[in-house]
Amino acid sequence: MEFWTAFYAISFYVATFILMFGLGYKIFQYAVTPAPLKIPTTPAPLTTGGVVVRLLLEVVIFRSLFRSNKWIWLFAIIFHFALWIVLVRHLRYFMDPVWTLVVLAQPFGKYASFAMLLGLFGLLARRMFVVRINYISVPSDYLMLFLLLVIGISGTLISFVTRTDIVQFKAFMLSVLCFDWSNLQTMPTDTMLLIHLTAVISLMIVFPFSKLLHVPGIFFAPTRNQVDNPREKRHVAPWAVKEFETTPASTTSE
Amino acid sequence: MKILTILRKLGLVLSLAIVVSTVSAGETSTLKIPKAKQNFSAEQACVEPTDVMRRQHGLLLKHYRSDTMRHGVRTLEHSLVACINCHVTADEAGNYPTVHQGSEHFCRSCHTYAAVNIDCFQCHTSQPQESFSADMGPVQSD
Repeated sequence: MEFWTAFYAISFYVATFILMFGLGYKIFQYAVTPAPLKIPTTPAPLTTGGVVVRLLLEVVIFRSLFRSNKWIWLFAIIFHFALWIVLVRHLRYFMDPVWTLVVLAQPFGKYASFAMLLGLFGLLARRMFVVRINYISVPSDYLMLFLLLVIGISGTLISFVTRTDIVQFKAFMLSVLCFDWSNLQTMPTDTMLLIHLTAVISLMIVFPFSKLLHVPGIFFAPTRNQVDNPREKRHVAPWAVKEFETTPASTTSE
Repeated sequence: MKILTILRKLGLVLSLAIVVSTVSAGETSTLKIPKAKQNFSAEQACVEPTDVMRRQHGLLLKHYRSDTMRHGVRTLEHSLVACINCHVTADEAGNYPTVHQGSEHFCRSCHTYAAVNIDCFQCHTSQPQESFSADMGPVQSD
């Protein structure tokens, strides 16, 4: 078996393991972290249904970002939506036969890569040239943008310029996915493809340790996911009740 | 705590699903690409080395198309007609597959697999000349 084939197959397994269990652990951690205070950012929805709508609007169209800064919102929404289309297009390497939706997404995904790069460069410019953002930026902020840019640029180059043997690559990917080790297909070793995959694998590995955790994190933000009903329903954390509350006779109802 | 038990159950179901899918995964479906009728030369299977053909055949065809259509240069070097003549082979009954049906068509076998749409055959035929020369008389070579 060729070196690169074995190397990338193993790296893919390791990265997937870290991504799945790391993300699963972080979600678990978020879920059990107490939110002792009732702190929805007002005006906030008065019902659970309203909270669902609020979170959906936040996740899908970044409503609070839209309200606070229009140009950052524009780059952010361009990048995230283009990333979705590109991801859907990439599903073709992981399934056989390919879903109709994924087939239909192919031409759109191809050109969405340019939109994705535009969004990323916009966000990078924000980080570098807006003084107050630049002041609070740390290396890991740049690392995420850098990895995504490497992925985007190398992928666009593969698609439009240098090309690779995508049929052979899909055969490799499927044999890895199906744990078909006795029949592991070799991987094409075009430089641009190796760069692309290395960046993707690195991103998968850093995902559960990085700011990319905003993906699950937004759902657990107390300021966004709480119902504004402090008077109708008393907000208590079970551990706080256990720790601090005695039950004097006067408060227990008859 | 309620949420804990829910999460625990979810985790159990997930790990079960992973185990089941691993066991039932079996082997990869292998792609069957029909063989061409002959090698291009003693040294080389196709008009360019196989590695180049796999990556660049689309570009070669597009380049050839624009040379032919816009500049009137008509060679046989990267001709679509020649590709089809050599690569599309008949089944046992002597019928030729088309790009629209049957996975035995050379172009279709990979293009369906990789979900790449091609528009060559909206105008061109996807069958070799010999498949219809019998009833339509000799087809003019280009």
